[in-house]
Formats: sequence, structure tokens, C-alpha cells
Amino acid sequence: MAKNIGKYGALLATIMAVAPFCAAQAQDAIKIGFVGGFTGYLAPYDQPTLQGIELAVEQINKAGGIDGKQIELISRDMRSDTAQAAVTAQEVVDQGVQVMIAPCDVDPAVATGQITQAAQIPTIAACASTPILPGMVGDYMFANYTADNLQATALADYALEQGYKNALVLLSRDTPYTEMLPRYFATVFEKKGGTVAATLEFKMGQQDFSAEVTKIKELSPAPDVVMTAAYEPDFPAFIRQLRSAGITAPVLGSDGIDSPTTLELGEVAEGVVFSNAGYPTPGSALEKFNADFKAHFGEEPSAIFTATGYDVIKVVEAAVKATGGNLEGPALRDAIDNLENVAVATGSITYKGMNRVPLRVVALNKVQGGQKVHVANVTPNGADVPPAQ
Amino acid sequence: MEYFLQQGLNALALGGTYALLGLGLAVVFSVLGLINFAHGELMTLTGYGIFYTLLMGVPYPLALLAGVLIAALAAVLMERIAFRPVRNASPTTMLLTSFAVSTILHILFQNLISARPKAIPVPDAIIGAVSVGSMQIGIIQLLSIAITAVSLLGLTLFLKKSLLGIAMRAAAEDFNVARLMGVNANMVISTAFAISGILAGIAGVLWLFQRGSVDPMMGFLPVLKAFIAVVLGGLGSLTGAVIGGFILGIIEVSLRAYLPDGMLAYRDAISLTLVILVLFFLPQGIVPRRESVR
Amino acid sequence: MPVTLLSVQKVAVRYGAIQAVENAELAVAAGEIVTLLGANGAGKSSLLNACMGLVPLAGGQVHFDGQRISGTRTEHVVRRGMTLTPEGRRVFPGLSVADNLAIGAAASPQLRRETAARRTEMYDLFPRLHERQKQLAGTLSGGEQQMLAIARSLMSNPKLLLLDEPSLGLAPNIVDQIFDIIAALRARGVTILLVEQNAELALDIADRGYVLAGGRIVLSGTPGELRASGLERVYLGAH
Ligand SMILES: Nc1ncnc2c1ncn2[C@@H]1O[C@H](COP(=O)(O)OP(=O)(O)OP(=O)(O)O)[C@@H](O)[C@H]1O
Ligand SMILES: [Mg+2]
Repeated sequence: MAKNIGKYGALLATIMAVAPFCAAQAQDAIKIGFVGGFTGYLAPYDQPTLQGIELAVEQINKAGGIDGKQIELISRDMRSDTAQAAVTAQEVVDQGVQVMIAPCDVDPAVATGQITQAAQIPTIAACASTPILPGMVGDYMFANYTADNLQATALADYALEQGYKNALVLLSRDTPYTEMLPRYFATVFEKKGGTVAATLEFKMGQQDFSAEVTKIKELSPAPDVVMTAAYEPDFPAFIRQLRSAGITAPVLGSDGIDSPTTLELGEVAEGVVFSNAGYPTPGSALEKFNADFKAHFGEEPSAIFTATGYDVIKVVEAAVKATGGNLEGPALRDAIDNLENVAVATGSITYKGMNRVPLRVVALNKVQGGQKVHVANVTPNGADVPPAQ
Repeated sequence: MEYFLQQGLNALALGGTYALLGLGLAVVFSVLGLINFAHGELMTLTGYGIFYTLLMGVPYPLALLAGVLIAALAAVLMERIAFRPVRNASPTTMLLTSFAVSTILHILFQNLISARPKAIPVPDAIIGAVSVGSMQIGIIQLLSIAITAVSLLGLTLFLKKSLLGIAMRAAAEDFNVARLMGVNANMVISTAFAISGILAGIAGVLWLFQRGSVDPMMGFLPVLKAFIAVVLGGLGSLTGAVIGGFILGIIEVSLRAYLPDGMLAYRDAISLTLVILVLFFLPQGIVPRRESVR
Repeated sequence: MPVTLLSVQKVAVRYGAIQAVENAELAVAAGEIVTLLGANGAGKSSLLNACMGLVPLAGGQVHFDGQRISGTRTEHVVRRGMTLTPEGRRVFPGLSVADNLAIGAAASPQLRRETAARRTEMYDLFPRLHERQKQLAGTLSGGEQQMLAIARSLMSNPKLLLLDEPSLGLAPNIVDQIFDIIAALRARGVTILLVEQNAELALDIADRGYVLAGGRIVLSGTPGELRASGLERVYLGAH
């Protein structure tokens, strides 16, 4: 009998210990919404982003929450459809979220932002990289991922450092990324003393770059560096045909080519330098993140978007701490806007003075012997970054 | 002059690939009156075929061969499973069926394989260039031209010399009378699909040499170009499909080579306008299909 | 008692709601020339196509050379020894004369092996085709095309040849030539079922005849009997 009382007593004690905790979570949780494309064309980006977000939420909650407040994550699939994004965003807003995370592409991110802007809910686009995105929506919209103009600045700085003076730029007007990133590069490169020999255009998916390559061969003087934001399948096709034609100028690319395909290109891709959002150097936060990720999910991160997703939650954490727990939209918004040097998985993030497009680390990598080799982590000077257009 | 020659070669290589693709569409259209929009997925299948056979440790040349054969087999199966049941239905039904096949294959690729591209290695040996006089010609380009020429020659010989080839031409001109003469209709149609599969496979290999990866959407753009080539050349005419492919290649390369920078953005619009212009004067295409003489 | 080669029993052909042939009964014995007469739209071509398995039967049966052929595929019918020279000649215009002939022998491996020999025979029978063997069929004259169409059907060495309006659209002297060929074919042992609009010519050459009107056989008999029973009335009635 006494034994039984002891058993029930323990159970009772557990219930009494947990109950107020549950109540506290219900009343005092920080609700973060994520409208993402977990199916459809955005799945390769938004799925890993969600994993990173989940990892951050779990780590913070386990450690007692943000200043004692637990995070409640409400994630919904918008099926990579812009119209659906607006509908889903409204549903999530109706559940009373205080912060929203928007999907990985400009159009659905804008659709989400238009809902949250009206509701005065600070919103962070997890991996859309167009720097004009916050300006398109309004003062509650923030970018998170390495912006195109930031990457371009890092690449231009690197090119000048290597002593390249005459650049060839290859762009495509098909997406803002493939068009503007090279244009930002050209702006910085020319402003700092380089010249742009020619700007060539391609159509995404065109496969055949023979006409463009022949034009490059005709250039006199020959360019000493080639810069492009092309990615699969255009980049592999381009660089093969470039090298086939005997053009040996070094090639600079952006994070779109941070993919196994680039490493498997063999001889032709040797020496290609490209930027991305981070490299896990020994002892770095990213290395630790990758280890935590593996421990939690039992697999290596499939893309850098896991880490940048994690970063978003760390930014929210820093902002909530800065407001002293005030979750009102305007207060949170101002707090994010003034964040400086927040430690995140990919390094550090600064919003202060950046018009809601973060200054963050850009990693430069080189293809060497079929491997991705780290060149440097750089944080461009904020004043060098060309204005978003 | 050298620039011109070089660009001419470029046009030849690109046009050749379009010609192979267009020919694949035209072979099926000529006997069945069907534009098979799932033709591009046959290219994609070649890519995945090469990817997986390489993974199994099959030597590279054999993997390429396997990729082409897989496309041929898939084309024949496609006809058996999807098109035969609707063979006597309206052309619209058949067209919609081909859209459905294309979409189903997309979804299967995305969900069973991956939405992300799979890398296909290309041997370094074929990446370089050879010098001819003062010109440098890419080996892949030469290979494209040579393979296109051999394929066209092979197909021409088949159609002209073999009874099955002659039967296919007969069926293309008058399907009912070909049947009346005892030509096996299923055999002819299966052969047409097998040929279209082989052509898609060969074009797929050339495409893969350039892009180095396969993804679910790989076949989408090429089949569109092939369709333009076929309409330009004259629906149902095999010669027309080849001519249409080469003309499309020439138009595209010349625009890219000679348009002033400011106008480059409009080059697709200009090239389609040129195509429409040709069709305005030759509504049946460059080589109109022969009507049977009564 | 001559062997019955073709026997058509209670055959019906329908195209949707249209009844093209109803309850047709017809027989052709080995060595005969039988003619099938009838006005435009009477159902003659439909009946021939049905025998060949080109259009499905809506009823009835067809036997050829002692075996049931209704329901089998066209190439089997050709292999058994029956071919049709279709109305309007329908040569393959983009194929050479020689290739057109080759298609005529496509129905079985046995026939394919004999292609060269059969072609030589056809060139003997139709010297004009020999001279034009490399020419595209679409460039032949109407009479030459009709000769090619007949020769193409003969490539499979048929026991029974179905001829659908071989005189259609040809000049009178060419028509005479074609009928001479038909007579010559009979002499070579080919049995013939001849569909004709030109009833006089057909009855001159035929052993027996049938008259089809509105999809039904309304008369049958020898040429003399058919002429006596007022063929013209039937034609007029059908119009
Ligand atoms: N494919 C078809 N679909 C629908 N109706 C058809 C088809 N072929 C023939 N018919 C119809 O069947 C009927 C018989 O046609 P058929 O061609 O057999 O006549 P015919 O006696 O050969 O005429 P003609 O002397 O003009 O050649 C006609 O009313 C015709 O309109
Ligand atoms: Mg008729």
C-alpha cells in the first residue's frame, strides 16, 4: 500500500511540475511562423531551411527559452505557389505569430510580406537573396541570406586583390539573381579601378554557348577574369565550352554553383573561385552547427540553407533579448534593425545601418582537384556594397 | 572571316542537335499524326540511365550506349502503354495523352530520384580543342557534328534501303494502304518510336556532354526547340525536320553573334518572329508534306 | 465443282449510325471473274475493305480458302492469298516504283525473300513500270499508277485479287488496257472480284455478277441474267 502511494505521489508530483510549465508556454510563448515551399520547386531550399530552424528552436527551448520564453514554431507548406503563399501567410498570422519567416524566392516572399507588413509583424526572408526585397515590401521586411550585392562586392574585392584588371561579365536577364549579381560585380569592380571588357548575355537553359565563347575569343585585349552568376545547367555548359575554345582566364562564380555538379566537372572547373554563405573551418560556429545537425538528424546537412535557417532564429533570439521580452511588432522591428554582430551559425550578422539587408560573412571557395577548398572568409566594407536596384 | 567561319561551325553543331531532336518528333508524327511532347523526357531518361549505369560501375562508353538504349526502350513502352489505347482517338486526345505522360514522368523523376541535378562526368579527353589553321574547334562540337552526320546518314540508309524503313515511309504517306499491303501496323509504329527514342538518346548524350548534369526538367527546353524546328520544316516531313533544325540553329547563333549588345535581350523574340515570317510565306513549312496523289 | 475461294456470309458493316452493308452474301470460286456492281455509296468498297479486315464487321463471317478470316489482321489475310487494289489507286507517291512493289511483298518473310524475283515478273507483265522503276510513283501518269497499284497487289502472289474500280478516272484507251490486263491475269490463274461503275465493261469480262444497292445484294447471276433483269432500274432506284 505504501508502495502504491509512493508511485501515485511521484506521478502527481510530475503532473504538478509540468502543468504550470505548460500553462506558461501557452500564455507566454514566442510564436514564430514559417511559410515555406516544402513541396514543389522551392523544396530544395525551404526543406533544409526548416531543418535548421527546427534545430535552433529545439536548442533554445531546451536551454530554457529566450529569457524564459519558449518558442512555438508554426510552419505551413505553401507548395511553392505565390498565390498560395498569401493565403497560407494569412492563416499563420491569424494564429497570432509575432515573427514570420518568408519562403526562399522573391515572389512568394513578397506575397507573404504584404500580409505581415499590414499586420505589423516583423518578417525575415530566410534565403531570398535579392537586396531589393525589403524595399519592395516595407519596413517590417528583412532579408537574411547573403544578398546579391554583398556577394558581388566580395567577389570584386577578391578579383582586384588577385590583380585582375579586365573583366568579362556574363549575365542573364531571366532572373534578378543571374542579372543583378554580375551587374553589382561590374559596378564595384569599375569603381575600384578595374575595367569591364564586355558584358555578354545568355538565356537560361540555352546549353550552347558557342556564339558567346567565340565573341570572348575575339576580344582584344583578352579579359583576365570571367565573372558570372550562371548556375546549373548553364554554368557547366558555359565553362566546358569556354575551356574547349582554349580560353584559360580564371572564372569567378557565385553560390548558385555550390553544388556537387561543379566539383565533378573535372579539369575544366579546376581553379574556379565562388562565393557562398559560409565554410566550416576548424573551430568555427558552422563546424559546430554541422556536428549538431548530424547528431540531431542523423545525416549531413544537404545545403548551406540549413545553417542560414538556423541563423534566422538566432536573430530573433537576439532581438527578443534586446527588447527585454517585448513582443510588440514595432519594438521587435526596431530591435532587429539595430542588431550588430549577432553570433550565428555562419559567422555573424549586422543589420544596423544596412537597410534591413544584413552584412554578413561571405566565404570564398576554390575548386581544387575536385574538392571545395576554403580560400577566405570576408566581410565586405558596408560602404563598398552598391545600393540595391 | 575567321569569326564568321567559327560562328558558322557553331551554327552547324547546334543546328545538328536540333535536327536530331526534330527528326525524333517528326518520325513519330509522320506515322501516327502525334506530336509527342514526352520526347524531351526520353532525353532525361538517357541522362538518368547513364547516371545509374555509371553508379553500377559500367564502363563509360557502355553507359552511354545503355543510356541511348534505355531511351529507345522507354519510347517503345510509352507507345505500348500510353498511346496504343488512344491510337484511333482524335489528335487532341493523343496530344493531351503525351502531355500527361510528360507530366507523370516529371513527377516520378522529382519524387523517386531527386529535384536536384545529378552530376554526369564528362571525360577530359573530349573537352579540349583542336586547331585547324588559325581556328580552334572544340572537340565536343566536332563530335556533335560528326555524330549528327552519322546518325542522319544511318537513318537515311535505313529508310531508303531496308524494307522496314521503306514500310515506314509508306505508312507515313498512307497508313491504311500500307496496312492493306500487309505491313504490320504495330511493328511500324513501334519502330518509329524506337527510332525517335534512339535519336532523343543521341541528342541527350550530346546535350549532357555540354551540361554535365541531369535533372527532371532537362528535356523541357529541347523539345520546345524541336517542335519549332519541325513546324518550320513542315509537319510530318523528315527532311523538313532536319532542315528546320539547322535553320533554327543558324538563326539562333547568328542573332547571338551579330545582334548589337542592346538588342540581345530580344533575340528569342526576334528568332520566333523570323520563324513566324517563314511560316507566313510557307504556311505548310519549308518542305510541305506530300499529299497522296489520287 | 470448282473450289469456293471466298465466301461472305451475312456480313454487315456500320460506321456509327450509317449502315453501309447489311446481310451481304457472296461467293467467289477459284478461277472465276466475279463482278460486284452498284451505284455510288452502295457499299461496294466497304464490303471489300471488310473482307480484308481493314474495317471491322458488325455482323457475319468471311471465309477464304477454307478458313475463317474475319477477325484476323490484314497481314494474315494477305499471307493467305487475298489482296485488294484500292479505289483511287493509292500508290505511295513519295516512294519509287521499285519500293512501292517491295511494300506489296511485305506481309511475310517468305514473300520478302521472293521480292526480287516477283518484281522481275511484274516488270515483264508491265514493261512501262520497268522503264520507270526508279521514278517516284507520284510522278507517274494515272494509267501507270493504276498498273503500279495492280502490280503492287500481285507482289504477294495472291490467289484472289480484289479490284476496286480500276477504270476510275482513266481515258477509254487506258481502260481497255487495264481490262486486257485483268483478262491476262485470269489466264495466269488469278481469281478476280471486280468492283466497277462501268457495268457494261465489267459484265463483258465477268463469269458472274452481284448487284449491291443500299448495302444489300439485290441481284445476282450470270451477265446475261443480270442484263435481262433490268440492271438500269436498280441503278436508277438507288439514285
Ligand atoms: N469511313 C467511313 N465513315 C463513315 N461512313 C463511311 C465511311 N466509308 C464509307 N462510308 C459510307 O458508307 C456508305 C458506303 O460507302 P462505300 O464507299 O462502301 O460505297 P461504294 O459503293 O464503294 O461507293 P463508290 O462507288 O462511290 O465508291 C456510304 O454512304 C458512305 O458515305
Ligand atoms: Mg467505292
